Formats: sequence, C-alpha cells, structure tokens
Amino acid sequence: MKRFLSILVKEYQHIVREPRTLWMVFLSPAFVLVALSMIFTSGSGHVAVALWDQDRTAVSRQFAGSLSSDNDFSVGYVSNYREIEKLLVERRIDAAVVIPPGFADTIQGGETALVQVILDGVDTLVAGQATGSLLGHAAHFGLALSRQLSLPPVPLQVQARSAYLPGATERDSMIPGLIPIVFSLPVIAAALALARERESGSLEALVATPVRGLEYLGGKLIAYVTAALAGLLPVWLAAAVLFHVPFRGNPLLLVLLTGDFLLASVGLALFIGNLVRSQQTATVIALFVFFVPGFFLAGLIDPIDTTDLVSSAISYVLPTTHFVTICRALFLKGAGVAELWRPALALLASSLAWVGLGAVTFKKRVR
Amino acid sequence: MGESLHRIWGLVIKELLQLRRDRLLLGFVLLGPLLELLLMGGLVGAGVKNLPVAVVDLDRSGASRELITRLDQTDELLVKTYGESVAQAQEWMQSGQIAVIVMVPPGYAEALANAQRSAQVQVIADGSNHVISTVATATTENVAAEIVRELTAHPAAASRGPVELRFVARFNALLDDRPHAITAMLGLIVYQVTLIIASQSFTRERELGTLEQLRITPLGRLELMIGKGIPVLLVGLVDCLLMMGVIVAWFDIPVRGSVLLLALLTIPFVLVQVGWGTLISLISRTQQQALLFVFALAMLEVALSGFMVPAGDMPGVARVVSSVSSVQHYLVVLRGVMLRGADLRSLWAPGLALSGVACAVNLLAWLRLRAGLDTDSLRLRLQVLWQTCGQRRRARQAERDTKKAGGRSASQVKKRRLTGETV
Repeated sequence: MKRFLSILVKEYQHIVREPRTLWMVFLSPAFVLVALSMIFTSGSGHVAVALWDQDRTAVSRQFAGSLSSDNDFSVGYVSNYREIEKLLVERRIDAAVVIPPGFADTIQGGETALVQVILDGVDTLVAGQATGSLLGHAAHFGLALSRQLSLPPVPLQVQARSAYLPGATERDSMIPGLIPIVFSLPVIAAALALARERESGSLEALVATPVRGLEYLGGKLIAYVTAALAGLLPVWLAAAVLFHVPFRGNPLLLVLLTGDFLLASVGLALFIGNLVRSQQTATVIALFVFFVPGFFLAGLIDPIDTTDLVSSAISYVLPTTHFVTICRALFLKGAGVAELWRPALALLASSLAWVGLGAVTFKKRVR
Repeated sequence: MGESLHRIWGLVIKELLQLRRDRLLLGFVLLGPLLELLLMGGLVGAGVKNLPVAVVDLDRSGASRELITRLDQTDELLVKTYGESVAQAQEWMQSGQIAVIVMVPPGYAEALANAQRSAQVQVIADGSNHVISTVATATTENVAAEIVRELTAHPAAASRGPVELRFVARFNALLDDRPHAITAMLGLIVYQVTLIIASQSFTRERELGTLEQLRITPLGRLELMIGKGIPVLLVGLVDCLLMMGVIVAWFDIPVRGSVLLLALLTIPFVLVQVGWGTLISLISRTQQQALLFVFALAMLEVALSGFMVPAGDMPGVARVVSSVSSVQHYLVVLRGVMLRGADLRSLWAPGLALSGVACAVNLLAWLRLRAGLDTDSLRLRLQVLWQTCGQRRRARQAERDTKKAGGRSASQVKKRRLTGETV
C-alpha cells in the first residue's frame, strides 16, 4: 500500500510539475469540446442551386421565383448541361434543377409534371440535405397550385416526432456524444507516461525497487484517472452552461460513470504503453485505437448496427462506445442506474481485464 | 551548397535509420494505416442499418400488419418487439433497447380504405441521436409513399401532386456513402501519422538529451529543419500512395482524374503537417505535451474537415477557421480528382490554399526555430527585449535629466545610468 502511494505521489508530481502538462490534462478536454461544438449550428442547411428553365412560361417562372425567394436556397440561372457539369465539378453548386419544356401544359392538363434534379453525389450529407429541402419545396409549391382543384386528402400521413429533443437540434445531440472523445486526450497522455519511463531508462531504476507490477500500474492508473476526472467539471460547464445542452440525469452518477469510463480507457492506454518501446510508437498506436475508431465506430454519428457481429464486436470493445451511450442517456434522457447498469458493468469488466493484462505482461518484461 | 546538401543528407539517413530500428513503429506507420483502412473501410459509410423498432399496433388489421412487414423489410429498420402501449415502449427506449417506436392507431385500416379520410401513423424516434430521427422519419415516409402508390383507388395526381422531382446523382449514382467516408479516412490518417512523427522530432531529441549533440554538429538551423522534414515527407507520401492503391483496388473507388496532379498536390498537404509538427516540437518540452497539442489540433481538423457537418453549413467563425484547415482543402482535391475527375483548372483554389498554408506554417516554424531550439528561448528573448527597452528608456530619461540639470557633471550621469541598469 505504501509503495502504491509513493508511485501515486510521484505521478501527481509529474503532472503538476509542468504547468503545460497540468493545463493540458485538466483543461484540454473542455477546450476541445468548445472548439468542436462551434461547428454545429441550430439552423438548417443552405443549398446552392443552378436552375435551367426550358419551359419559360408563367408557371415555370412562378416555380423558379418561389425557389429563389426561399431562404434555404441560393439560385443561379444556367442554360445548358455543360454549364451544370462545370459548376458541379468546381463545387460551386450542390444541385441543378431542370424544368422541362411543356411543364406548364402538363400541370394545367391535370397531370404530374416531372422536374429533373441533378445532385452532386460525392458528399452524401449535402446530397441528402438538398434532396430533403427540394422535396419539401416541391410539395409546398404543389399544394399551393392544387389548392383550387378540390382533391381528396393524402391517404396516409406519417406523424414523426423525436423524443427527448423535440427541436432535434444537431448540436444538442452531438455534444454529449463528443464528451468521450475529448477525454481521450488525458487518456493517451497516460500511455505516454508509461512509454516515457521505458524510453528514458528510469524504469530500470524502478525495477530495482521493491515496487511490484500491479502497484506500479495501479499508481499510474489512479493518478491519471483522478487528474482527468477533475477535467469533467470544465467539460460539464462548457456543455451545460455555454451551449445550454439539457442535463436531466444525476450529476453524481455522471461523475461515477466518467470515473468508470476513465478506468477502462486508461487501463487500455497503460496496456498499450507497456507494450511499446518509444513514445512515438505509443502515440501512433493510440491514434489507431482511440482516435479514428472513436469518431467512426463508437456510435457517435451512425448508430451501431447490432446485427452485424464483426462491427458491433469491435465497437463494444472500445470503452468510448459505452460512454457515448451513457453520456447521451444521462444528459438527454435523464436515465438512472436502472437503465445504465449494462454499459457501466461492461466498462468495469473491461477496466479489470486491461489492468490485469497490463500487470501480467509487465511482470514478464521486467524480468 | 554541396556541403550543405551533404549535411542534410546525413541527417536524413540518420532519421531513416532511427525509424528502421524501431520495428514496431515502422510497422505501425506503414502497415497500420492500411490495416485500419481495410478493417474500417468496410464498416464506415455503410449507413444506418437495422435500427431496433418497437411496434405498438392498436389496429391489429391486415393493413397494419402489411405496413409493419414493409417497415421491417427496409434496410434501415428492424422490428424487434411489440408493445402494448406507447408508455411501455417509451420505457424500452429510455433504457436504450430500442431506437424507434412505430404506433398504428385504431381505425388505421378503415381510414386507409376511405378516400375521404387520411390514415395516420405515428413515429417516435430517439432524439438523443439526431441521425436516428432523420433516418427513421425518412424511411417511414418512403414506405408510406409506396403504400399510397399501390392504392389504385386514388388517382395518380392526388398522391403525387402536380410537381414531381426526379433525382439523378452525378459522380456517385447510387448515393453510396462509402467513397465520401473512405476518402475522409485517407486524408485524416495521413494527416495524423505525419503530424505525430513530425511533432516528436525535436521533442524526442530534447527529452533524450541528444539535442545537445545535434547542436554542436556543423548543421545549420535551416539544414536541421529540412533534414528532419524530408523523412516525414517521404513517410507521408508512401503512406498516401499505399492507401490510395488499397482504395482503388479493394474498395473499387475510381480515379477519374490525373494521378500525377493528385500526387503533386499531396506534397503541400504533407508539408503543412511537417510545418505544424516542427512548430509543436519546438514549443513542447516533453513528448507528452507534443502529443496533446497534436491531438487537440487533430480534433479541430476532423471537425472542420466537413466530415460531421458540411463546411458550407458551419457558422461564420468556424468557416473562416476552416479555410486554413489543410485536411478540408486536401479532401476537396482528393474527391475532386478521384470522384469528379477534376483538373487543375477547377482545383486551383484548394491547391493554392494548400500551398499557401504550407508556406505560412513552415515560415512560422522557421521563425520559431530562429529564435532558438529551447522551449523557453522565446520567453527569454522577450525578457531580454523588455529589459533593453527598459534600459533605453532609462537612458533617455537620464539624458533629459542632464539637459535639465545642465551643470551636473558627466560622471554623475554615468553613475545614475549604472544604477538604473542594476535595478
């Protein structure tokens, strides 16, 4: 116990000694969260459209005019496909709308007129947005046109509503999901702390002392977990006060579960730091383990497909995945222990597994 | 000049030898990106699939069952359970077991059969992830439109309205997410690997104490920077080419433009990272600090790269900042050449931006290097500057004093100046 404490004190001194390190371990998560959150707006997207009116009638001009006066679109006029292609390649427009000849005649004959829309398919996010905006606009325009014809009501209506966040603002749902990712900064710092001792040779000196592997790893683990946990306060302030994300859960539960998550991910980080010989290698591995999958696989954007065994297995090994679930549930759903015991237990189990693995491999390497 | 090249060459050889010695690092730098791309390229961009749905069917008719079967048959939704009431289903949503609730109210079948009435379906999606609500709503609406289209009792115009849009997607006819996601991954991985290696160059030497040795060699500062930069540039280019080969061969993503142009524009992109890395390695005392800088910077780049939010939709400040984001410009180039078949005429703007940022960042790094190799040298310089300013001010003050006093002897003034300096 005494040996464990002395390692703990030594690690704290390492963190506190350098103001830069202290600043980064304590404040960097909040700083990065604020910076990341700045990119989300509450408004809807803006679509740049090129319009080619082949019909040139009063009705087609009415359609064009209604499109230009809509704030969601900025409209430019073109008169052939070559221009459209050129604008698409240069990324000056998101979509092109082509009104065919005979547009007005078809509508006045009581039939459905087809309008061609050419999308830039490369950025599917933008394409989806343009599709939605244009469909909405066409429906609106169609309604205004057909008002004089007394048509029966639409036979089937879908009433959609989103639970927890009725406004469905992107920012509110993204910020709690980003919290696990910003905490990967202090976590990776822990991996380096271990690799550093090996690189600079001070581990040799430690081996000569009676400190055992588990005490050594435990000291490092607790030091970095508590130091990072202190950074939760600025993160929480940034989310709840600065960006007004609703916080509906229990604050104490958030602290406990953040500690749980940090135990698991710092455990994994220490295991990595233990395997490598240089800090550079530790960094590159940490990148592949924490950073890229954190953004792409942890359910931050696309929810995890539970039927795909391979991808869900990878996702659930990452501590980040469980904490994304926990953060969103605590902030937005106001969930309690009854709903969150599953991810909490998974995190606890993985932290035990990583620390255990770390202790086993550590012993071997010292010998 | 020849001498200088020779010295730089020596440093490059030393760096490459160091890289070769650390087998694990070399493996991860060269094969890691490929493995990551192969593993994750198949997973990312697959889109939203099989969202777990709870159905609350209060109508229990053939028509409602037909609707539920059709929802289940979509890729996006997967019916998992049936609930008795919405309240019960909401409890399941609270614990995260299901993501979407579909409620069919009583009288659905009758309303659907009656031309004068309109049937209702309620969709409640888990709003704690905005993607879920968007996808669930769009999918249900598609299914509803399909059902309406098949109801022959209604005239076509009534269900379709007077205007219908027909969509065609250029460059990516099926609107597949994968080319977009995989190119984003390529840019981000190359960015990260090069930045990490570059950022630890001076820091590592400092921490291990070998920086002192480098300083007593005849290498000039510019030579030092170039010699440290070239290996990183090489690693970045090799990584980039390897990953591009994998993308084309494995994921069937076409290269419609010129490969040469792409390779040419990759150079300034990697150079930006070399510049940032050098700058970071000059201001951080330990590799830990350098790493934290790198990851903080990298997160901003990911955010600004248009992966989560399209660059055009960001608020004003973020858009201004994103104009110096090298990843964002590089992805425009990458997607332009690979997917849109763009040439230099339509890519001059991002190309120029990349080169401009590369020059600016490297200039900044060079200026910082000129101030000295120590992390504190800039502060020391500023202190010295401050002190000299103070001295000059005191000197001028003293001069004015002598003019005022007139009769005072020169030795007295000199004495005052001396004491002023020591204070």
